[in-house]
Amino acid sequence: MYYVARVDEEKCATYNCKQCTLFCPEANTLMFDEKKNSAYVNEPRCKGCALCVYVCSDLLKRDCITMEMVTTE
Amino acid sequence: MGLRYVQPAPGFKQYLPKDYVDLIDFGPFGKEVDASQLGQFKEILEEHPMCAGCWMAYFVRVFYASLPNPEDTIVLGTAGCARLALSQAAVPFIYGNYGDTNAVASGLTRALNLRFPDKQKDVVAIAGDGGLMDIGFSMTMHSWFRREKFTTIMVDNEVYGNTGGQESGMSPKGVQLKMAPKGKKFDKLPATELAKLAGCVYVVKIAPTNIKRLSKVIKRAILAARHFGPTFIHAYTSCNIEYSIPTEEVLKDAREREKKDFGFEEYMTDEVRAFFEEIEKKKKEVRA
Repeated sequence: MYYVARVDEEKCATYNCKQCTLFCPEANTLMFDEKKNSAYVNEPRCKGCALCVYVCSDLLKRDCITMEMVTTE
Repeated sequence: MGLRYVQPAPGFKQYLPKDYVDLIDFGPFGKEVDASQLGQFKEILEEHPMCAGCWMAYFVRVFYASLPNPEDTIVLGTAGCARLALSQAAVPFIYGNYGDTNAVASGLTRALNLRFPDKQKDVVAIAGDGGLMDIGFSMTMHSWFRREKFTTIMVDNEVYGNTGGQESGMSPKGVQLKMAPKGKKFDKLPATELAKLAGCVYVVKIAPTNIKRLSKVIKRAILAARHFGPTFIHAYTSCNIEYSIPTEEVLKDAREREKKDFGFEEYMTDEVRAFFEEIEKKKKEVRA
């Protein structure tokens, strides 16, 4: 079981901010998709620190990212 | 950034490692990228074993995205947390013995000047507070006294993070740590003041909360080291494990410390100031 960040892509696409991608401590993990105009998480690389949730929810009040449990198959 | 001379010949690309080709197709090789575009290109830094939410890992990420000339940069590290990530990038990395980063960097800078007199090679020594201000103190100071032309970056987590939490010279006064249960009795070392006295031409104290400013400072430190002398960055990169900071509040902690005792300070000599002003003037002329 892993704890990873997930982006609500539809909600994220309504904003044009890209702030969470600037504050993730991991490289190549929280990326921005220009076609969808939304951030997305490279889940196998996410360590689950929830810093992006702090940036998105606490600082920007946009609530697009949630932390979720995932299982490997 | 301009990695023209490592672009593969057509037809040869299919035989190169995937990571390398990705850096050309989606990464900074051969293109101009900026740290404020993080998340939109493949970074030269790869996966590493640093802790979740580590602010030092964040600093290393921004550092690698800010290098003015990554193809001609050599990074030196030492035992400690930062080297776990520093060594996982598409930039040559040298692992010194504990505390000798600045001695190795001195020799390396001189050797590179002899071997590549026509090329500018950047040498950057990055180590923690233990590596630079405790155990490597004499070598750090003497490299500055000798005015060696390279950049020293101290990623200060105020503790010996991966040996169980002993106090370091940079731990704040009074702080209780796992291996210092009585609390630290002495003040934090004035690292930036020492650097100024020892002859560093560009000295910065920063808490990494503003990516544009951090990136600018890293670029400036490397550029100033090319021409004028030693440069030093003292960055606050908290240890969320030893200081029990919840991972999601690491940025909040950095912002609080920035207000308290880690406010942005930038010192440069007059000649360095004139050098940067000229660069910025040229940039404005190009834009106009």
